[in-house]
Amino acid sequence: MTTSIRSRTRARAYALGYAARLTALAAALALLMAASGVSIGAIGQGLALALVGMGVYISFRVLNFPDLSVDGSFPLGGAAAAALIVNCGVSAEWTLFAALAAGALLGLCTALIHVLFKIDGLLASIIVMTGAYTVTLRVMTSSNIPLINQRTILTPYQPSVREWVIANFGAEARRFANNLVEIVVFSLVVIVMLLIVRWFLRTEIGLTLRAAGKNPQMVRAIGVDHRLMIIVGLMLSNGLSGLAGALTVQQLGFADVQMGIGIIVRGLAAVMIGETLLRPRTIGQGILAAIIGMIAFEVLRAWVFAALRLEAADIRLMSAVVVLIALAAPGVLRNIAQRRKTTVIESRDAQTDRR
Amino acid sequence: MLKLTDVEVVFNPNTPYEVRALRGLSLKVERGDFVTVIGANGAGKSTLFNAIAGTITPTRGTIQLNNRDITRTPEHVRSARIGRVFQNPLLGTCPGLTVHENLALAARRGRRRGLRPGVKRAERSVFADLLAMVGMGLETRLDSDVGLLSGGQRQAITLLMATLADPDMLLLDEHTAALDPNAAAQIIDLTVSLAAERHLTVIMITHSMQQAVSVGSRIVMMNRGELVFEICGGERAAITADDLVRRFRDLARGDELSDRSLLE
Ligand SMILES: Nc1ncnc2c1ncn2[C@@H]1O[C@H](COP(=O)(O)OP(=O)(O)OP(=O)(O)O)[C@@H](O)[C@H]1O
Ligand SMILES: [Mg+2]
Repeated sequence: MTTSIRSRTRARAYALGYAARLTALAAALALLMAASGVSIGAIGQGLALALVGMGVYISFRVLNFPDLSVDGSFPLGGAAAAALIVNCGVSAEWTLFAALAAGALLGLCTALIHVLFKIDGLLASIIVMTGAYTVTLRVMTSSNIPLINQRTILTPYQPSVREWVIANFGAEARRFANNLVEIVVFSLVVIVMLLIVRWFLRTEIGLTLRAAGKNPQMVRAIGVDHRLMIIVGLMLSNGLSGLAGALTVQQLGFADVQMGIGIIVRGLAAVMIGETLLRPRTIGQGILAAIIGMIAFEVLRAWVFAALRLEAADIRLMSAVVVLIALAAPGVLRNIAQRRKTTVIESRDAQTDRR
Repeated sequence: MLKLTDVEVVFNPNTPYEVRALRGLSLKVERGDFVTVIGANGAGKSTLFNAIAGTITPTRGTIQLNNRDITRTPEHVRSARIGRVFQNPLLGTCPGLTVHENLALAARRGRRRGLRPGVKRAERSVFADLLAMVGMGLETRLDSDVGLLSGGQRQAITLLMATLADPDMLLLDEHTAALDPNAAAQIIDLTVSLAAERHLTVIMITHSMQQAVSVGSRIVMMNRGELVFEICGGERAAITADDLVRRFRDLARGDELSDRSLLE
């Protein structure tokens, strides 16, 4: 029993280190924002997209399934939310559930295509992503839905916060007020989802799902159909992505069919940034790292864009470069380290030869 | 209990890579039997297990378990009643999860999995006691990632996982091959005592003739996808490892002769 206490203490020590890295990262981002004048709007944007990071973490890392249909579920979730608000008068809060369901449905499609027809996961998700574009367009009926003068999940809190901000910081701080509302509301949604997903992945089903991603043969050998776990996992990850779409639409004030393109790479970038900087070990730490990774990515993006005077269209190249660096860096670093080692040995050999 | 009738498994049929791994094999195992299976590399032993467990479906023949035809039953359904240790030490456990989590997953074999917590604190002492029986000091590593353990350690954990939820049948595919001699002896002892304690029906594949004669109630020899002989009863009691090695050699020589006659 003493040994189990010891291992628990060790886990606690690691969690402490994780928390320290998290704090350091937060401080660094805050400093960067203060020094460069990046608006806190970047944090709100990061929070809205954080659920994409979470979804990508679940599909790519937990389930080991290269799912690109996130690119389809994000705009579909956004479209569903916008269409329900504008055309059906559904209250904005309820549209979040609709977006979650729409995304999950898309995940179900990808999973079923993979499982039933034994089509490669990557290919299955590309098929679904491509088809989803049309569905999104049909849901929206036009390629853009503005949410001007509509009640969103943010608007109820904006007037009072604006008043308070103007009273305390002056009239120039108007934008700041809206950003503040975004951050608080999105944080709430993200934290709730973090807790739910963390809880779920530690239940009996969740644990089996995690095993299915790592070792499907073992999962079958303990009496579970691993394909069921793929279905559950992809529904979850795409549901999260759909929800992120709904949040983003309410933040931007419009829905657009184009808005999902390339979001998968941003999700991947977030996961990789989170993993590299925070080095998570437990499942909870992993999910949190994906969220923080997305916020960090958005802050850095805002800073780089401002510094280099980039345009919105440049985002895709930037996320592609971040993922490329994250994928290539470990191998390149290892090569350099090895070459240095061999050169040392060679030069030592050369010296002995000379003697 | 288990009855295989005329089971044939052909890989890549009608291609240049066609392999007839099982050629109409029939085998009957009674409840409580402990069968050891021997045979050369490539004889089809692992394929036999894959067919019994449902990892592959036979191209011909039937498999019955407890008088029910399970020939087309999916693997995960059969797994509720069949525990298994794979030849590959990495297949039986899941890296990225702790030892405790792996054991907890296996403990729920054949039961509905729901939204209850995946691991329970109350299980810890039970699992620690089980791990202590293995004698590898694993009881102190309940919270270690299984991926950080050695192949032998993982194989030992797999054996525990395979027996945890009282399966009817236990399939062991060279489950001591990755272990040092000391650990192998210990695991064999554990296997025998677990089988007796839980009234398991066991089929054990081994390349160790010593193991084959020292444990179990029957010996079965496979060659080229067929069951070539079976030793039980009085003959089984009298046989020594040397006898087995001799019969093994005779068989290999026979194969060589028939190969040569084919070529000529
Ligand atoms: N998935 C597969 N596809 C094609 N051929 C296979 C496959 N699995 C096994 N075989 C072939 O079937 C034959 C029997 O293989 P099997 O693994 O059953 O042998 P084994 O008796 O377990 O041997 P070993 O003692 O080396 O483990 C071999 O010739 C092998 O090449
Ligand atoms: Mg084998």
